[in-house]
Amino acid sequence: MLSKEVVVQMTKTAINVENMSKSFGKIRAVRNLSFSVESGSCFGFLGPNGAGKTTAMKIIYGKCTRDKNPNSRMDIFGYDPATNELAIKYLSGVVQQENNLDDELNVIQNLRIYSRFYNMPVKVATQRIESLLDFLELSEKKKSKIKDLSGGMKRRLVIARALLNSPRLLILDEPTTGLDPQVRHLIWDKIRQLQKNETTVLLTTHYMEEAFQLCNRLIIMHKGQNIMEGRPERLLKENMESYVLEVRDYEAAAQIAPEKLSTNVRADRGPDVMRYFSNQIDLLKDLADSHLKAGNYLIRQTNLEDVFLKATGRQLNDRQ
Amino acid sequence: MTDSKTLQYPPLRRRLYSVWYRHMRVYTRNLLSNGFPPFVEPFIFLVGIGLGLGNYITEPIGGVRYIEFLGAGLLVTTAMFTSAFECSFGTFIRLEFEKVYDGMLAAPITVNNLIVGEMIWAGSKGLFFSFAVLCILSAFKIISLPYGLLAPLVGFLTGVMFAALSLLVTSFVKTINHFNFYFTGFISPIFFFSGVVFPIENLPRPVQPLAEIVPLTHSVRLVRSICMNNYKPILLLDLLYIAVFILVVGYFAIRRLRKRLVN
Repeated sequence: MLSKEVVVQMTKTAINVENMSKSFGKIRAVRNLSFSVESGSCFGFLGPNGAGKTTAMKIIYGKCTRDKNPNSRMDIFGYDPATNELAIKYLSGVVQQENNLDDELNVIQNLRIYSRFYNMPVKVATQRIESLLDFLELSEKKKSKIKDLSGGMKRRLVIARALLNSPRLLILDEPTTGLDPQVRHLIWDKIRQLQKNETTVLLTTHYMEEAFQLCNRLIIMHKGQNIMEGRPERLLKENMESYVLEVRDYEAAAQIAPEKLSTNVRADRGPDVMRYFSNQIDLLKDLADSHLKAGNYLIRQTNLEDVFLKATGRQLNDRQ
Repeated sequence: MTDSKTLQYPPLRRRLYSVWYRHMRVYTRNLLSNGFPPFVEPFIFLVGIGLGLGNYITEPIGGVRYIEFLGAGLLVTTAMFTSAFECSFGTFIRLEFEKVYDGMLAAPITVNNLIVGEMIWAGSKGLFFSFAVLCILSAFKIISLPYGLLAPLVGFLTGVMFAALSLLVTSFVKTINHFNFYFTGFISPIFFFSGVVFPIENLPRPVQPLAEIVPLTHSVRLVRSICMNNYKPILLLDLLYIAVFILVVGYFAIRRLRKRLVN
């Protein structure tokens, strides 16, 4: 037999995971995680370092094995990574946290090597590589050495490598960490284009902006657990007031007596900043006008980061 | 809506080939600097030790001149050294520093494919290095050619054998300096005590059986028979030893390295 057949179920749900857990010795990296991802959507994992995001991703593409548990089920395009890792890997493209490129080879050779892993005929591979370099705006660099590439270019090359086999599932583990805003926006743009072509995307990040821009749905993980899940706008709306007044100076904040606060204002004392949340911006403005000097405070709309910090706590934990 | 589409992931031999191809491309990237030493080293060795020291060794060893005796041994020691380096330092760097394996394992290959591919690659390097020595030996008319052409095959087997062993050693190594124990404590001594520079019959009698445990001894016996075109039934035992060694040590190497590659 020449090849192994992979039958792709083109169902509405691309990924369905039930009760996925992973322990490393005493550390429970992932605890009973369940989620499902619609075909063609972008699904985000948010969480502080050490929350278990990367481990969850690795279990999906077979780099980690999940703990054995009779109640645990995984279905990725109809396959379970514990028994069918090759089928899943064949259908997926993975961008890992580290840019593990072959420094000895140039840009185009790096891609050519990987085209062999997918058994692409040389002619098909050559065309595919050309179009991917074009897509990720690397065509001018195709003969460059890896060490001559900037961080953003290396990242784009790793993304190109993940896209070689036109994956139905693209796994991105912190794709834009450490990159400048231009590159970040370019990468976001490309991810959106891929989604239009029905590519399902799994993304981990700790940039709230990135999650907000890209994800149709996301879960916030903390200490291996799913602590919040939903569409980004809804998560914001359901868990957070619309506005926040931030006071950077505790002495100034002390002017505001807690017992005098309206019931429509919630106070939150952070390690460095005092915050007052409310759905009514006028209440916050009155509060600021009557107690604070201009320049001592800031009133802004709340964002996903506020939800994230509320959910995961402001203190560092031992895994960060 | 359920609609299914049939795709094909690569079969086993293509998966192994893709691992081999990756290593081959990286190696041949610096063809000149990588391809030079396997030819130059045996040349220097033969001139220095064989011709220089050999002048003092006038007695024939095992029925041949000393330089012929030594030359035949070099056909397999070169395969041993290249394979041992490739699958210790080379593998460790790919594993820990360059994280090359992490990327490869995201492609449709398994850990088994990766490690077996690694062994086949090390075997191929053994074959090539052995071939390089063969070229030098025949240029100096130290080996008679039609028979000697089979020697690189023993180079291949030697390469795979030491790949399996070195991968097993690598699976235990936490910092790269630990390889010094392996090379100084194991590889260098077996160069001297496996019948390469002198026959194992010259070892003290109680020690002689120990030489039979060492993998290189069997490669040396095979390659000598090839060079002298003198085949004996005991060679079947040597082949059996090599096959069993590769399977058993290779099995444990894969089992242990899997734990480092997939957690």
